[in-house]
Amino acid sequence: MTTAPAVAVLRAFRGALGSGASLPEALAEAARALPREAREAVDATRRRLAGDYSEDEWGFDEEFAEAIRPLFDFLYEAWWRVEAAGVEKVPGHGRALLVANHAGVLPWDATMVSLAILREHPLPRYPRFLVLDWAFELPYVSVAIRKLGGVVASPYNALRLLAEDRLVAVFPEGSKGTGKPFRDRYRLQRFGRGGFVEIALRTGAPIVPVAVVGSEEIYPKIGEAPLLGRLIGAPFFPLTPTFPLLGPLGLVPLPSKWRIEFCDPIDTARYGPEAAADRRLVFELSERVRDTIQRKLLENLVERGSAFL
Amino acid sequence: MARRVLITGVGSLLGTELALRLERDPDIEYVAGLDDRRPLARLERTDFIEADIRSPVLSKLVPQAEVDTIVHNKIVRRPAPSMSPRAAHDVNVIGTLQLLAACEKCDSLSTIVIRGSAGIYGAEPSAPQFYTEDMSRRYPLRTRFQRDVAEIENYFETFSRRHPGICCTMLRYEPAIGPTLDTQVTRYLSLPVVPTYLGFDPRLQFVHEVDAIEALVAAIKRPVPGAVNVAGPGTIGLTRLVRAAGKLTLPLASPLFGGATSAARRAGLLDFSDDFKRLLKYGRAVDTTRLVEEIGYTPAYSTPDAVEDYVRTLRGRRLAPPLRGAVARA
Repeated sequence: MTTAPAVAVLRAFRGALGSGASLPEALAEAARALPREAREAVDATRRRLAGDYSEDEWGFDEEFAEAIRPLFDFLYEAWWRVEAAGVEKVPGHGRALLVANHAGVLPWDATMVSLAILREHPLPRYPRFLVLDWAFELPYVSVAIRKLGGVVASPYNALRLLAEDRLVAVFPEGSKGTGKPFRDRYRLQRFGRGGFVEIALRTGAPIVPVAVVGSEEIYPKIGEAPLLGRLIGAPFFPLTPTFPLLGPLGLVPLPSKWRIEFCDPIDTARYGPEAAADRRLVFELSERVRDTIQRKLLENLVERGSAFL
Repeated sequence: MARRVLITGVGSLLGTELALRLERDPDIEYVAGLDDRRPLARLERTDFIEADIRSPVLSKLVPQAEVDTIVHNKIVRRPAPSMSPRAAHDVNVIGTLQLLAACEKCDSLSTIVIRGSAGIYGAEPSAPQFYTEDMSRRYPLRTRFQRDVAEIENYFETFSRRHPGICCTMLRYEPAIGPTLDTQVTRYLSLPVVPTYLGFDPRLQFVHEVDAIEALVAAIKRPVPGAVNVAGPGTIGLTRLVRAAGKLTLPLASPLFGGATSAARRAGLLDFSDDFKRLLKYGRAVDTTRLVEEIGYTPAYSTPDAVEDYVRTLRGRRLAPPLRGAVARA
């Protein structure tokens, strides 16, 4: 059954060549024999190879994001069995800052938060996320992150994205979050210096705290190899039960069960942009967001029950 | 008020084009061009002053022109094969110093516009996605050209501090691209196979040749003190650029890239500057708010449009003789 389209293609290809068409024409003729989906895929590939695709000025490539969506859908549905709550609390339009806990070495949590919004929000849109700048020195990883909507974690980027009325996701724990050992899971680290609050205040963007349960079990970090980390310039080099023991296979995240809860937005517009210089207010809001996420983490942990089943 | 303008580096393509453009402008009363190379086209009412910008004779020649505006265009971005890096550095730094020494003696001078470079920002993996003008000192100066540009900017800053009556506009240009230009970028794209860094696809930004000239004209008419970025809005990924140009890429792993390109240089095939190599790996884009809002110039071509315009002529070039030959003969 699956060989039928292939045979049809070959037959059309041979026929076209036989009637004197050039190679590209014959290929196009052959492609016409494919079923519609396959033909569309071929068309898209040909178009992309001719450089005819669009990336926005940040380098976000929606077509690319759509193309690898099935992989993320699989992770979302089958691998991590994500349950998302409160997605409708994310503003459907205009600027907003999503603030989430961070874990799991690679930014899988960012992709799952995005996917929760894309799948369950009545007005889905792609959030942009701030990524630790070290990732942009890596081959392939840097390209993939950029095409999926990641930008260097710099306040300038966040301010500009919010000024463009976009949805921006930040992880204020930064590498302290991704690099924390397994025994500290779900204990929020320090939230930087509250820079994300300053950004929200300056742009008047509401802050939406997000609690992600499950991401902290996917790479149980039991040790560290600082020498190796320094060698490749990484902020840390994690050792897990499978990495680097199994090589690249060790990068496969464990199938924990996830829950993502979006909390009530915190309005910042009422303080005005000048409030960004008010240290006390910045720390107060930062602590409030941190407490909210910590509380929701513990609630969802209890509700989830067993980590893997 | 009718303006009197002197252009340094009038023998370059953009210098000649700018002189042609100013000759047609009713607001410009007088145009002078200074260079050690003849202009590329016959100029009707431009006084050509043949002098090397590095020579002290500038202090005599420049005040004689009695101009109110100087456009400093004699900055070497990519030394020609016949020019040593040392000579390029001399033109950039000593040339600027001599020009400023001459400016001290011009009483009529009110405006200096410099065609500088966004190369001062370098190309950094951890940089913000859009550089604003105040970010030029965020990262160490890594390449020779970057240090040259920084030195030039320092001289002009010091000069404008000492002469508050003279407005110095430092235009920081992203690489220019266009049908008639011959730059590092267009040479790179006309290679049969284009080398890239394996696993890197940087965002690049260009300015169309038309906008490159019009931005200078706009800055002459409405100068603002300090640095202003000049680029076509938007960005383009390197892969998309190369594919649009109809070329095949040759991805090389980072450790091999330097070796491969220097071998190709010895064979006389290509010559990448260090700046360009970093650009190919990490890319760069700038914020153009100041250009649009303060100088009041909105580029006609976005970066993708500029690339498209260039690519169209690139395709035509296979049939017709190159356009720049025609310009050179005109």
